[in-house]
Amino acid sequence: MPARSLTVTAERLRRSEIFSELCDEDLIAIAEFCREQTFQEGEIVLVEGAPAETLYLVERGKLALEKKIQIGRHSTPRNATIGYVEPGKIAGFSTLAMPDEYSTSAMCLEPTRVIAVDGKALRAFLESHPAAGLKVMKILAELVSGRYRNATNTLTYFLSIVSHELRGPLAAIENYLQTMLGGFAGELNPKQKRMIERSILRVVDLRTLIGDVVDLARMRPEQIQADFEWCNPGEIGTESIEDVRLAAAEKGVRMIIEPPPKFEPIVGARRRLRQVFTNLLNNAIKFSPPDSRVFFRAWYEPEAVVFEVEDEGPGIPEEDLPHIFKDFFRASNVEQTPGAGLGLSIAHKIIEAHNGKILVRNLNGETGKAGTRFTVYIPRDLMTPEMCRREWMAMEGDQPKG
Amino acid sequence: MAETEKRPYILIVDDDPDILEGIVTILESQPYRLATARDGKKCMEMITREIPNLLILDLLMPRMDGWGVIREMRSEPRYAHVPIMVLTTVIEDASRRRYELETGMAMDIQDYVQKPANPVDLLQRVEKLLKIHV
Repeated sequence: MPARSLTVTAERLRRSEIFSELCDEDLIAIAEFCREQTFQEGEIVLVEGAPAETLYLVERGKLALEKKIQIGRHSTPRNATIGYVEPGKIAGFSTLAMPDEYSTSAMCLEPTRVIAVDGKALRAFLESHPAAGLKVMKILAELVSGRYRNATNTLTYFLSIVSHELRGPLAAIENYLQTMLGGFAGELNPKQKRMIERSILRVVDLRTLIGDVVDLARMRPEQIQADFEWCNPGEIGTESIEDVRLAAAEKGVRMIIEPPPKFEPIVGARRRLRQVFTNLLNNAIKFSPPDSRVFFRAWYEPEAVVFEVEDEGPGIPEEDLPHIFKDFFRASNVEQTPGAGLGLSIAHKIIEAHNGKILVRNLNGETGKAGTRFTVYIPRDLMTPEMCRREWMAMEGDQPKG
Repeated sequence: MAETEKRPYILIVDDDPDILEGIVTILESQPYRLATARDGKKCMEMITREIPNLLILDLLMPRMDGWGVIREMRSEPRYAHVPIMVLTTVIEDASRRRYELETGMAMDIQDYVQKPANPVDLLQRVEKLLKIHV
């Protein structure tokens, strides 16, 4: 590139937020591996999941950042717009950060002119010019954290509103159905009764799904850890058993409870742990053949309290095992059983926030029968927020005063 | 007339008319006197006219919400003894936390039911509250 045009490109680079603090010399060096590109409305600039090789600085026009959303493996993927990139802003952060593949797609909403910066060359330049590298990375970190915070807050707020708006009408419908089923609005014939019973089941499924979707948005580790308190795991287990008693009775599934001789208190998020056990038990019951057994065991190991839920169901197809804790995943052999595929992913997030582990395996005739076993380890050395604060203050106190 | 007056008087407050109709239909199966209100302000007006034996109260409502009603009831000696059953879609932890944050006090209520209420369970809870408090 001739020297004059390098100076012009360098000047244009300075107008973009990411390079705004670099000196002339650095900008001219970067201009060496830049090229101008124009895109028409509707054209795709970068694709989610593709190797992130180019950073785009928007000069004119507008890009929409889009994320592919697929509920279940067989449904049609849809694109959701999660943000816009306007002049001065950049698209393709991942060029400078792990995992080196684009985390969103970017589509032009209007004719757009960009400066495309070669990612490999830019990384090499920043590595060999640490002062410039530090400035760029500092701005990048701010941009990424700003975008992330904004997205998370909006999502959580939006979901809490949507959830209330959806729960209200559902509660009214379910209330009417229950009132009719209870005979409070007159006698029902057997067919009407069955239809209302089915309607209630469907509404309950929908209500659970809404709850799960909202939970998924709120399920950040720090939010779960803020609820850490001393609790008795035995009581939590008993509450979960109570939660699923009806479902077990309806299906004729026998619950075999094997508690330790004595429960010692642990630190954990009480309501969230109950959610994990209830979910595992509910799943076990859902996939159990009638008249089979579900085992719920607990015991203490030196470092952890361990819970185990085991059923005598068909097991999970081996090829599905690595995926069952992913959002919206449903195993390939459960088409007939209702659910959104969020329960296990929520359970996994809750246990991870406890620094614990949740493992699954098929028994494959180990006990002479088929079945699945989920094992949950919760460390016994977790701390409540108050304990963390005290420890932190004690450590501060140990620091030599200067 | 005298016989009517002896029947426990229950005031049900909810901004959703369908919820009100459902709850009234369930409670009508028992010898109760029932009245309804669609928001917290109307609820307080009705309470000044006649103090109920039980208040069934939603939380998220226009004009004055359920937390506001609880606060007023518990700060007024004439109404402080009225049992309150909260009936709402809001989860219990969250609403207790909100009340504590706003008032610095624990939410003094006698029962908490998350919607939708199971009719048989609702009748049992109402009967229990009336037995204790009437």
